Parts: sequence; structure tokens; C-alpha cells
Amino acid sequence: MQPVHIYLSPSLQMRPLAILLLLVLSVSCSSSRSSTSVDTGGRATLTYWSATNAQELDFANQVAAEWNVQHPEVQIKVEPVPSGQSSEEVILAAIASGTTPDIYANVFPGAMQDLLDAQGIVQLDAYPDFYDVLHERMTPELLNQYRSSDGHFYQVPWKSNPIMVLYNTRMLREAGVSSFPTTYSEFLAAAARVTRDRDGDGRIDQWMATIDYYPIWYKRLYDYLPLYAAATNGQTLFQGRRIMFGNESSVAIFRFLHECFAKGYVPRQSFQGDVFLDGRVTAKFVGPNSIGHLERYRSADFEYDFGPIPRPDGATGQPVSFADPKSIVIFKTCRHPREAWEFIKFVISKRHDLRLLELSSQLPIRAGLLEDETFADYFERNPKLVKFAEQLATARSIESIAELKEIFDAIAQEVEASVVFDLKPPEQAVHDAARRSQQILDAQ
Amino acid sequence: MQPGEANKFSTHNETGVRGQGPGAGKNVAVPSQALSDSSPALLPLVPEARHPAPDTRHLTPDPIGYVMVLPYLLHLVIFLGYPLAFAFVLIFHRWNIYTPMKWVGLGNIRLLLSDPLVWRALGNTLYFLLIHIPLQLVIALGLAQLLNQKIRGRAFFRASYFLPFVISGVVVTILWQQLYAVETGIINVLLQLIGLPKIGWLTDHRFAMPAIAIMATWKNVGLYIVLFLVGLQSIPSHLYEAAELDGASGWQQFRLITIPMLNPTIMLVLVLSTIGGFSLFIEPYVMTGGGPANSTLSGILYLYKQAFFFSKMGYATTIGFFWATIIFIVVLIQRRFVETEAM
Repeated sequence: MQPVHIYLSPSLQMRPLAILLLLVLSVSCSSSRSSTSVDTGGRATLTYWSATNAQELDFANQVAAEWNVQHPEVQIKVEPVPSGQSSEEVILAAIASGTTPDIYANVFPGAMQDLLDAQGIVQLDAYPDFYDVLHERMTPELLNQYRSSDGHFYQVPWKSNPIMVLYNTRMLREAGVSSFPTTYSEFLAAAARVTRDRDGDGRIDQWMATIDYYPIWYKRLYDYLPLYAAATNGQTLFQGRRIMFGNESSVAIFRFLHECFAKGYVPRQSFQGDVFLDGRVTAKFVGPNSIGHLERYRSADFEYDFGPIPRPDGATGQPVSFADPKSIVIFKTCRHPREAWEFIKFVISKRHDLRLLELSSQLPIRAGLLEDETFADYFERNPKLVKFAEQLATARSIESIAELKEIFDAIAQEVEASVVFDLKPPEQAVHDAARRSQQILDAQ
Repeated sequence: MQPGEANKFSTHNETGVRGQGPGAGKNVAVPSQALSDSSPALLPLVPEARHPAPDTRHLTPDPIGYVMVLPYLLHLVIFLGYPLAFAFVLIFHRWNIYTPMKWVGLGNIRLLLSDPLVWRALGNTLYFLLIHIPLQLVIALGLAQLLNQKIRGRAFFRASYFLPFVISGVVVTILWQQLYAVETGIINVLLQLIGLPKIGWLTDHRFAMPAIAIMATWKNVGLYIVLFLVGLQSIPSHLYEAAELDGASGWQQFRLITIPMLNPTIMLVLVLSTIGGFSLFIEPYVMTGGGPANSTLSGILYLYKQAFFFSKMGYATTIGFFWATIIFIVVLIQRRFVETEAM
């Protein structure tokens, strides 16, 4: 068989390069899509990402529907934030790929520095009425907690879930505990009475509390951080780029938690189902947003209430906690930021703050909630929320630094090693966590 | 490469024509060897005599050649060359994907050398290998020996042992998570039936890594059984016949014929499971997240955390290169050590 000859022009010698170039171009030329779209009628559509839970989606849909009727020229499209390991990661991925929404209503203030570094969000204090709107809601001191490192504001502090201790009051009462523990020793004393072996098989099957000790950074926002805020009367974990938490207060917290695990007051295992609602666990660190779930799934005779975060013995004054606040931001991909700002003002109006309370039992970050006529009826009907509203006054936010996740990861690792598995003494664990955190900050 | 060619070599080898180096005469059917040895055999296939050939010593580059290798070159450049070069550049930078890269010089390397978790991961990996490799070798060789006998349903057993190897790692891991569950897992149920206490397989920092090593052995053993089977079948039967005539017992035959003749296969299994051990990721990622108390943190899992939890791409690539270097050194040591022993 005669082999086939293919003759190629000399120019084809350059062809591989050209093909490569073409390929690279075609790969890199992904269309940069913007989430803001203008349809043929000249109307703008803004995309609004809400948290994924049903209550908040409900809220977002209701508010958007109302707005859309009143503002036919600017339509709001509500979408739940896409799922991912944490919403912070989803947002950063969206920034990197240019697929951010126009408005996002669930930003954790601790992650703000990432968004700022990525230059992905709009400066909000540039709007002339920014301070008027915000000072109507909160004191300048409280607002200051949300100021970014460059001195400007890029977020609207919107709602908060101050962390408190949820108790099964019937179990406390049956164990002979008459008031909510306020100090470590009161908590431990109550735990000793509550924790027991109910069916007599030699194994503990009723515990004081559960703590999800799986070392993921954000879990420590709901136990270590409120305990730290309570123990130090609201001191910060960092000052500038210096780690401040390597102190006696942290050691006391580690010791307290360690005793809870070591004495079996807190189980070293995870469970299927809700052991709190099953009546096997007496206490849990939660925010008011847990009420929706409790009300929905509790049995008719299930009693619960909220107590303060325990503090070192002898502490006085109003207890402080972590506010777990969430903010609203506008992304730079938004082509109608002014309209987006108008919509945000609509969302945070008093009327909708009440709706937020009604639908999701989350607190709007607003001073004087309990004195305000608008909310009086709500708090009368929901007395359990009053405690959270009181806690909100002294709850604090968290400083935003880019390495926050890593530092909380370091804390989580040490909590696991020392508190849960007893591999090192609390002093050593706190020291190691602080040293590693400082190394993380210094490495930058 | 055809099987026939490998056979051709085996005859060459046994007659000592091509036998070079200590191991070459004995190992015939080990894939890697066959691959590297067979390339010269392809040469005669190139038709030369058909054309009035031009002066082959002054070949002008034929552009069609470039076009024909283009798919491979493109693949190499896009999926290997570019990422590798980019990763190397990243070693000296801080980069979190969404902000511009920043030069940090040797900062990442200094960080790596002083990072206790890197050394923890290395220790964990060595611990994993210490359990996994001996277990793997013994079980795979034992089963291969069994499956090499004439037993009923041999094909079925061979396929069954190979099955876990082709099932998705995540699926296997989730299944084993159920087996290892403290309260409801079947392993603990069985332990309690025979009067032993429950073990927190994945929740106790002393047991988590052994638990993962056992699972990894179960998953990969099929591949190594096949490799050992190939090795076993390539041992000439006259060696055993001669030994039997000399009165060697079964154990003596195994120790003095099978093991030495399998040396190249053992080497291959050793190298493959070492590399597999160093790239341990899915199992701890799905089962334990590196815990409890970092006892199952592997190098790749730590790299992944740095890259995708903390957005430290520069540091993650530094760990990656460090890990690749260690694998290279360990394999080098193994080759030297095990191959010398075989001589």
C-alpha cells in the first residue's frame, strides 16, 4: 500500500502556535455576566441573595413582592445563597468569577475584610443619607463596631442572634435547680445534678449540654466566643494585629469546658436527631433564631427558656455575649447601586424589622427595641424574645481580619485537643492557640 | 505493546541474552519493566524500505509531525506544564485568588519549616504507612497465593476482590463510616457480642488512623492481588519442581523461590502503596476531617485546607512541592533498600 503524503505550506509550521493561542483565548473568554439585567421595558432587575432557611426566604420574598408592586421600574429577584461549605466561601468564589448578586443580606461582619480585599463591595457611607438612616437605628458607638479598617462603612448592620443558653426548664426543675446558672460553678453544680444514668445500664444517658466540638472554625463562634465576651466584659480577641486572647480568661473557659467533658456533663459523641427536643440534654448555646425550630417540633408539654452565658465566679454587671450579627452589602457588579441602596433602606425600615421578628424571630439591630411602640405588641406576645432584646444591648460583634477563619481554626484545634480529648492542659492549649494565631498574623 | 512481546523478552531473559542488572533476569511480566524494555521492539515496524529514502541524516523538520503530536503537546502544556510552572511561581507569593499576588520571597518556605502541623501530617502519614504497607503486602500476597490455586469460583473471587478498587472512594468511605459507627456500627456490635468493649474507631484519636489504614487496605488490595497474581504466574514452574525433588517443604519453596522471584512485584506494590499513602485525602476528608485532634490530618488534606479553607494558595503549593520531594526521596530509599536486599 502506498503511504499518503500530505503537503503542508510552510506557514503551517506556525500553525500549532496559532491553534494554541486560539484555544487559550476561547477558554479564557468566558462571557462576563452581570447579575443586573435591564429588560426591554427599560426596567432594572436586581438580584437579592437571602439566607437559605425557610423563614428568611419567606421574609425576603414578602418584602420583595411589596417593593416590586411599588417600584415597577426596579424589580427585585430573590434567590437563596447557593450552597457551599460556608456562605463566605460561596461569596468569595462568586467575586472571583464575577457572578455576585447585586445585594447580599447575610454577610458575617468577620468576613468583611475578605470582601474589602477583593474590592468586591460598594462603599455605603458615600450615600448622603447613610448616617441619618443608621443613626436612627443605633448609637454611633454601636455603629462603630462595624466600621472597616479604612475608616469607611461598607455594610449595613441588619440583624443579630445574640447567643444565650437554652435550657429545658422541666429537666432543671426535676433535678432541683431553681434558677438559671450564671457562673461556671453554678453551671457545673447544676450539671452534676442533671447528668445521670436514667435506665440504669451503667452508662450516662442524660447530659447537661451538648457542644459540637468538631473542629470547624465557625463552631467556636457559638461557644468559645460568647464565653470569652462574657468572661472579659466584651473585650476583643485582637487589637490591630496583636492577639489578645492568650490570657487567664481563656484558660478559665478552657478549664470550665474541660470539666464539662471530663465529668461527662457534655457527651463526647454526636447523635442522630435532636437530643435537646428528645429531653436527653438540658442546655445548648443558641440564638433566638432557634425558637422557630423549637416551636415547630416541640411536644405540647416541652418547656424551655433562655439563661445567660455562664461567667467566672464573682463577675458582676450586665453579662456580655456575642451578637452573631449579619449585615447587608451591595456588590460592585451591581449596575444600579443607588436603587439597591433604596431597596436596602426599604428592607431595614421599622415596618420590615417587625416583619423580620414575626417571621424569623431574629432581632433587628436597633437600639431601644423594647421601648418602641412598633414592637411592643410583638414582645408582649413573645416574652422569650425579651431576654434576647436585652442581651442585644450588650452583645458585641467581631473584628474583621482576613485571617479570622484560620485563627478560629487554631482555637478549634486546641479546644478539641485539650477540652475534649485531654491531650494537653488548658494553660498549654490556650498558649499554643495564641502563639499559632500570632504566627498566622505575623506570616502575612 | 502486546503480550506476545513480553513473552519474547522472557525467552530472551531466561537464556540470558538480554539479562542486565540484578533484577532483570527474574522479572518478566511486571508491567513497568515490560513497558520500558519493549520500545526497541517497535523500531522495525517503521517502514523504511518502501521509499527511495532521502538522506535521513539531514532530516528537515516535517511540519506534519508537529501537528500530529499537537494533541499530546497541548495536553502536556495546559494540564501539566502550565499548572506546574504556575505552582512553582506561587511558592514565592501570597495569593488568595481574588486579590493580586504578592511576592513574599522565602516566606512560605520558612512558614512550612516552622509549622508543627506539616510535621504532624508527615508523622501521621508515616504511621499510616507503617500499618498499611505490611498489612497490604501480607493480605494481597496471601490472597493472590490462594487465588492462584485451582479453586472453585476463582474468577468470581478475583472479581470480588477487585471490585472495591474500582468503586468510588467516597462511596467506600461512607460505607465504612457506617461500619465504624460507635453505637450502631456492625464492627462494634460484633465486638460487644464477643464481650469486648466498644471502640470509637473514628472518634478516638488512638484508633482513627489505624481504622483508616484498614479501610484503605481493603479498598486497594484488589489491585495488588492482580499484580501479585501476574508475578506468581510468571515464576517458571520448573523451579518448584526442582525444589520439590530436592525435598523442599511448601514453606521453604515459598520463602526461597516465591519471595525472591516476586521481588520486583513487591517493590512495585511497595512504591505504589507508598505513593498512595502519601496522597491520602478522600478517607480523612470524608470520615474525620483530619481529626480527632489532628490524628488523621494527612499532607494533602492539610494542603487542601490551606488552599480552600484559608485561601492561601502560595502556602498550599509550597506544601505540595515539599510533599512531592518527600515522596521522591522515600521511593528512592525504598528502591535502594529493597532491591539490594534481593540480590
